Amino acid sequence: MISDLLSVTVLIGILASGIRLATPYLYAAIGETFGQKSGVLNLGVEGQMLLGSFAAFYVTFKTGNLWLGLLTAMLVGALMGLAMAYVTVNLHAQQGISGIGFYLFGLGMSELLFQSLMGSVETIQGFPKVHIPFLSDIPGIGEIFFSQNALVYGAYLLVPLAWFVLNKTTLGLKIRAVGENPDAADSLGVSVARVRYFTIILGGTLSGIAGASLSIALLNVFQQGMTSGQGFIAVALVYFGAWRPVGVLGGALLFSLVNSLQLWIQVLGIPIPSDIAVMMPYVLTILVLVATVSRVRAPSALSKPFERED
Amino acid sequence: MKKNVWVNIGFQAGALVLALLITTLILAAAGAPPLKAYGSILNGAFGSSNNIVAVLITWAPLLLTTVGVLITFSAGLWNIGVEGQMTLGAIFATWMLRMLQDTNLPPALIIILGILWGMVGGALWASLAGALKTFGGVNEIFGGLGLNFVSTALTIYLVFGPWKRPGVGSMSGTQPFNEALWLPTLGTGLSPWGLGLSILAVILVYLLLRGTYFGLRLKAVGKNMKASYLLGIPTWQYSMFAFLLCGALAGLAGAIQVESVYHRLLPNISNGYGFLGLLVAMLINYQAIWVIPIALFFAALNVGSVQLQIVYKMDSSFAGVLQDLLVLLVLLGQGVRERFLGKA
Repeated sequence: MISDLLSVTVLIGILASGIRLATPYLYAAIGETFGQKSGVLNLGVEGQMLLGSFAAFYVTFKTGNLWLGLLTAMLVGALMGLAMAYVTVNLHAQQGISGIGFYLFGLGMSELLFQSLMGSVETIQGFPKVHIPFLSDIPGIGEIFFSQNALVYGAYLLVPLAWFVLNKTTLGLKIRAVGENPDAADSLGVSVARVRYFTIILGGTLSGIAGASLSIALLNVFQQGMTSGQGFIAVALVYFGAWRPVGVLGGALLFSLVNSLQLWIQVLGIPIPSDIAVMMPYVLTILVLVATVSRVRAPSALSKPFERED
Repeated sequence: MKKNVWVNIGFQAGALVLALLITTLILAAAGAPPLKAYGSILNGAFGSSNNIVAVLITWAPLLLTTVGVLITFSAGLWNIGVEGQMTLGAIFATWMLRMLQDTNLPPALIIILGILWGMVGGALWASLAGALKTFGGVNEIFGGLGLNFVSTALTIYLVFGPWKRPGVGSMSGTQPFNEALWLPTLGTGLSPWGLGLSILAVILVYLLLRGTYFGLRLKAVGKNMKASYLLGIPTWQYSMFAFLLCGALAGLAGAIQVESVYHRLLPNISNGYGFLGLLVAMLINYQAIWVIPIALFFAALNVGSVQLQIVYKMDSSFAGVLQDLLVLLVLLGQGVRERFLGKA
């Protein structure tokens, strides 16, 4: 039975779904990277994802328009980001607490809306697979990388884009400066508040997309609490990825591949005890935690509110 | 000084009114007549002795997790890992009970050992987060998050693996313990011991933070680590000790859940009490004395809103929405106050 795992079709299946399952992690964690780079730790990602996920599903369910659903999710995420930005930037709130507050708010609100607007679990047609011409015809490779839906491609395109913005643009320089030494940035005329508003709202928008990718592109249902901790994992992935988009990509893939392997083990009924299979992603978290111990330094001003000395 | 306190209370009350206003709008939008809905929450929380008991059962662990994080907050630490520490308390208590349930030891002794072992478990888990921070340079928020996941995994592993019920393991948890090993309860599951210990913990933490040399130094470490170090306070030992104490209290909460409420180990036994404790701690502005009423208020909301589900088919998550709005608005109020009245 173990040999079933090694057959070519199954391997391709595991890899293809691994690539697909990394999508929500990528959007959420890249968004969080921007926030943390600018010194803001947003623990509310999970809540933003949940509300985004519901918004996308509900709008798509009602209008049949996937893009409209996606747009609503982005808007909802951005609004939550705006609120988070106001609370952290203007009110100097403790970021750990406000983040948990936004998480529980998103959790409760999405359940409440789900109960009062829908009440039962429905399914929809999510984003269809887009076969990239020629590339998708390559045996194996084509199915793994080039026969995914639009949101999956978007997630992977985001990685180099985020790297470029953070490292090669003036905006990126400002973000990093604000995260490392807000006083210095401020004295050079960079608006700490404006930069942080930008990164937190961007993070919220991307978390909204992350949620939408679950409800209208990967699973195509909405269920209460369906993000099941992925938002928190995304926050941890930023840490694991040492605040670099490429590192985040590596972490996201590691998690999604292990998850995909575990799902396939269950599907194929391989006699590895299912409790061990279910444990795998969690055990991975410990290893990740231990492996990253003191390997990298966080942005100096992470989670510290900025107050100008008058 | 006196005036400041009243301004403070005024702002918290203003936040409460505003939160109620917003939730009223939400209720109206969702099609439930708001006044009647509030009535049914009140009724659900205090309408019968059974409901009051349910509120008190929810109150006890919330008291413990809240005062636990008050200690770590005082030391300037963000102990996001309370959920995991509570879970480990539950696991360790279950472990002790399973080990001793077939021996001839008196049940009372086994119960007490279970509680103590649960506290050890919580403290151990907290010390991991503390060690990661102190010796590994891992921010306690990330460490706590990771350890929370691991504790969930550990529970699932135990419930489906080594400790599974005869036959097939299920999400409904391990095999319930023999009734002799249940903490004695009044009526429908309220354990006076559990509640008593929780209230005792609140008093002790209040005194510790308020009236002892230790508490003062702990707060000094929290306010300014560098200055405290230069003054000769052993800073990392104090941080570590704050983690241990908080973990022990969270572990006690977990052990109480196992021994008096569920009588077995369940997946997700921490049930968000850790996160809720963080919110309550923030809401009371880290003043231990307010834990008692605010935690009771939160417990009543949680229990009372179950009634909403029954009467209006609205989800009981309504309580969560109200609580979080409250927290966010209090944060807002604090910011507004700082802007117009200067720092408190």
